[in-house]
Amino acid sequence: MAILKTENITMKFGGITAVSDFTMELEKNKIIGLIGPNGAGKTTAFNVITGVYKPTSGHIFYNKENITGIKPHNITKLGIARTFQNIRLFKELSVLENVLIANHLRLKSNPFSAVVNTPNYVRQEKHMIEKSLALLEEVDLIDVKDEKSFSLPYGYQRRLEIARALATEPKVLLLDEPAAGMNPQESNQLMEFIIKIRDKFDLSIFMIEHHMQVVMGVCEKIYVLDHGITIAQGTPHEIQNNPRVIEAYLGVE
Amino acid sequence: MKKKKIILSLIAIILFFSLLFILNSVFNSHQTRILRLCGIYVVLALSLNLINGFTGQFSLGTAGFMAIGAYTSAILTMPPAQKASAYYLEPIVPWLADIEMSFLPALIIAGLISALIGFIVAAPVLRLRDDYLAIATLGFSEIIRVVITNLQNITNGSLGLKGLPNYTNVWWSWGVAVVCIIFMALLINSSYGRALKAIREDEIAAEAMGINLFRNKLFAFTVSSFMAGVGGALLGHLMGTIDPLMFRFTLTYNILLIVVVGGIGSITGSVISGVIVTVAMEALRIVDGNIDLGFMVIKGIPGMRMVIFSILLMVIILFFRRGIMGTNEFSWKWILESKLFKKRKEVA
Repeated sequence: MAILKTENITMKFGGITAVSDFTMELEKNKIIGLIGPNGAGKTTAFNVITGVYKPTSGHIFYNKENITGIKPHNITKLGIARTFQNIRLFKELSVLENVLIANHLRLKSNPFSAVVNTPNYVRQEKHMIEKSLALLEEVDLIDVKDEKSFSLPYGYQRRLEIARALATEPKVLLLDEPAAGMNPQESNQLMEFIIKIRDKFDLSIFMIEHHMQVVMGVCEKIYVLDHGITIAQGTPHEIQNNPRVIEAYLGVE
Repeated sequence: MKKKKIILSLIAIILFFSLLFILNSVFNSHQTRILRLCGIYVVLALSLNLINGFTGQFSLGTAGFMAIGAYTSAILTMPPAQKASAYYLEPIVPWLADIEMSFLPALIIAGLISALIGFIVAAPVLRLRDDYLAIATLGFSEIIRVVITNLQNITNGSLGLKGLPNYTNVWWSWGVAVVCIIFMALLINSSYGRALKAIREDEIAAEAMGINLFRNKLFAFTVSSFMAGVGGALLGHLMGTIDPLMFRFTLTYNILLIVVVGGIGSITGSVISGVIVTVAMEALRIVDGNIDLGFMVIKGIPGMRMVIFSILLMVIILFFRRGIMGTNEFSWKWILESKLFKKRKEVA
């Protein structure tokens, strides 16, 4: 059963069509990929799914529920979390605080009970901290929990971004170029990590990636965008041998 | 550890109020006036810091909300006989003419009305960002002032209100300040405070983490307006006279100066610099007057101290952008651990 589905999404900015007729399906517990040359509209597709943009036409379904045009924070609440291509951590805040903030959406309280520390709020706050520490343990960031997030090495920042997305308790995770700027060894670790969190947190993952090694390694199905148009879709093997994909990436003779 | 902190905080508060008691009895009337002013500016700085420093929304509307608070509290506390004589151009509307209440309810109502107006203003304005937001809030602040000038039968227009009951003593001023400090510290360290800081750090990421941007900004703006209203009311009852011209943009500028000097996003910074800047503004009054150097007399230029403050603000922005405290806060943990550290050193 498809947990996330888009039907003919088209996104136009003025006269430019960034994404046109994008239809995809993400089955539960699968990892699928979205590739394409620079400027193909991959991130725009992500932004449409996560509610940053309202599509010009088309629909998005999450568990058969139409979520087209819902605000980003509500989409996260429903269970779709994301990371960003250019890391967007809360720089001046500590690693632990970054993860705690992602827990805020599950808090059932109000600012005034928080200020007067009602037992209900204190219990929830304690639970949030325990949960966040456990998550940081899980992703091997527990040793740096009190560091400000901008001071972390690049690879750690990437991992913290994923951890922060996981803290929102998602069912679907959208990763925007998680391997960007990583060397082959780091990419391998990342692949293992992605598969590990998929199994551990019962996730379905949709990722944009440029590193072919990563995409071909973990994705069961791949969509290829070029100039906003879906030029191919299929298994990694099919994509590798698809002449239109080769043409889009390498040009034609 | 937590219990220890609470006890230490309680002791600190008791010590602080004892100090106030001593200062209050030692100081002459001019000095206690400055002391009272310090407490008020701390409240106002915290108000502006909540929206600018913690939520990262550049708002410049403080003076307008202060005006609302000051007028509300003034109208609610003035004796009916005095109102009858003050409103000589046009009598006050009947439903306000006979109201007279004590200071505490008036202060709270002043805050609430200011918060209500803040809430209404925020709904359209908070859709803007950065300098556009600053311009819009600044504009609203001026609109509030113009409305007050023209509501002759409620606010007495440009004549202002004179002879307000002199309620703002050291206890009121610093009592409110301490309540605000405690409130802010608890709020900022709660999950809601973290949500506000997340908005400051990165709105797009905050939204992607499930934080409702609009609702949180609206909350911060409303609470900030409440505090500005209460601060304005305290100021009115300290001055004894209020008129619309008092609440011009320059007043917001003074408070912004305190926030920037103290550190944008630090409660501790706002408190320290609230006191320093208020005292300095009084101390620097000498440059407004003639300065006698013995062999020659430098002629005083009124307003010279504002020039000095402007230069100070520029120097801080150019060279010490983080202010006194940056985004750091005073904490008991910090003090206790530094002492422990000292002990360990002695052993070694």
